[in-house]
Amino acid sequence: MVGLKKQVYAALVVAGVAALAAQGQIFGSNAQDRSIAKVDAVAYLFPEQVTVPAGKASLVALHFRIAPGLHINSHTPKEDYLIPTTFSIPAGSGARLEAASYPAGTDVTLPIDPKTKLNVYTGEFIIQARIVATRGNHLVQGKLHYQACNNSQCMPPKTVTVAMDVIGK
Amino acid sequence: MRRNTIVFFVVLFILAILGWAGWANWEYHKQAAERAEASAAAHAEMIPDLSDGTLTYNSPLNGKSAPAFTLEDLNGKKVSLASYSGKAVLINFWATWCTPCKIETPWLIELRNKYAPQGFEVLGISTEGDDVKPSDKAAWDKDKQAVEKFVHQEGVPYPVLMGGDGIAQPYGGVDDLPTSFFVNRKGVVVAAQMGLTSASEIEGNIRKALAD
Repeated sequence: MVGLKKQVYAALVVAGVAALAAQGQIFGSNAQDRSIAKVDAVAYLFPEQVTVPAGKASLVALHFRIAPGLHINSHTPKEDYLIPTTFSIPAGSGARLEAASYPAGTDVTLPIDPKTKLNVYTGEFIIQARIVATRGNHLVQGKLHYQACNNSQCMPPKTVTVAMDVIGK
Repeated sequence: MRRNTIVFFVVLFILAILGWAGWANWEYHKQAAERAEASAAAHAEMIPDLSDGTLTYNSPLNGKSAPAFTLEDLNGKKVSLASYSGKAVLINFWATWCTPCKIETPWLIELRNKYAPQGFEVLGISTEGDDVKPSDKAAWDKDKQAVEKFVHQEGVPYPVLMGGDGIAQPYGGVDDLPTSFFVNRKGVVVAAQMGLTSASEIEGNIRKALAD
C-alpha cells in the first residue's frame, strides 16, 4: 500500500510538471524574440505556367500573398521616402514586361501614430502583367521588389523571384 | 486489482491534463491566426497589433561589451564608438524607408537633449538594408541624400553615421528596424529594443545606461 501511494504521488507530480510546461508553452511565447525578419513576407502563388500568342502582348494575372500581420507599401505609397512595390522581368528572358497594373492600396494608420498615413497591401493581391513572349518555352524569373513592416517594425527591402514558365505559341 | 484500478485512473488523469494542454495550445494559436486573417481581409483604417504579449528583445549582447565600430558621418568624418568611452550611448539602427524609425526620431532627439548634460549621446546608424549592392554607388549616393534631407528636416543634433549594414552582423544581424542598444559608461550593453516602443520605455533604458 505504501508503494502504491508513492507511485500515485509520483504520477501526480509528473502530471503537475507536465501541466506547468504546457502552460509555459502557451503563454511563455511573450518573451520570445519577435523578429519579423525571419518571416517570408510575400509569397508568389500562381500561375506557374502560361501560354501566350508569340509576339503579342498578353495579360497575365500574378497572384501574391502577404504573411498575416504584415503589410507592404503599395505601388504608390503616400511618401516619397517609402519603397514602392514593383514587378519587373529581366532582359534576355525570352519574354518582356510591356506594362504592369498594380492594385490600389488600402489607406491605413499606425496605432501608435495616427498622423502617419500609409497606402499598403495586405493579404492577397494581384498584379496584372502585360507580357510579350517570343516563340518557344521560356523560364522567366520575374522580380517582385517590396518592403514589408508590421505596425512596429520594418524588414529591409527585398526582391523575390517570380518564376513562371511562359510558352509563346 | 484495486491497485491496478488506481494506477489506471491516475494515468488517465495525466493523459487528460496533457490532452487539455494540447487542445488549449491549438485553440490559442487558431484564434490568433483567425484574428490575423480577419485583420488582413478587412478594409481597416488601423492595422491591429498582433503581438501576443509584452514586447521584449532578449539580445545576446545584453551584459556584454558593445562591439566596436568606426563609421563615417555625413561629412565623411570617421566616428568610433570608442571615442564615447565614459558616456552612456544609445546606438540606434534605422533607415530612411522605415516609418517606425521616423516616428521615434523626435523622441530620441528630445531624450538626447534632456540627458546629454549627464553624459549621454545617441549614435544614429543609417542601415539601408540587404538589397543594395556595395558597388551600387548611385543607390548609396541616393540613400545618403535621403538621410541628409531627413536629418536636416528633423534637426537631428546627434551624429548620424552611414554604412550601418557593415556592422550589423556583430550586433546580431539587425534585420528589423528600428533596433536600439543601450550602452553604459563602461561600454556594456544594458538593454536592447527591437521595433517601435514608446518614449517612456526608451527613457527607462537611457536611465539604466546612465545608472550602471
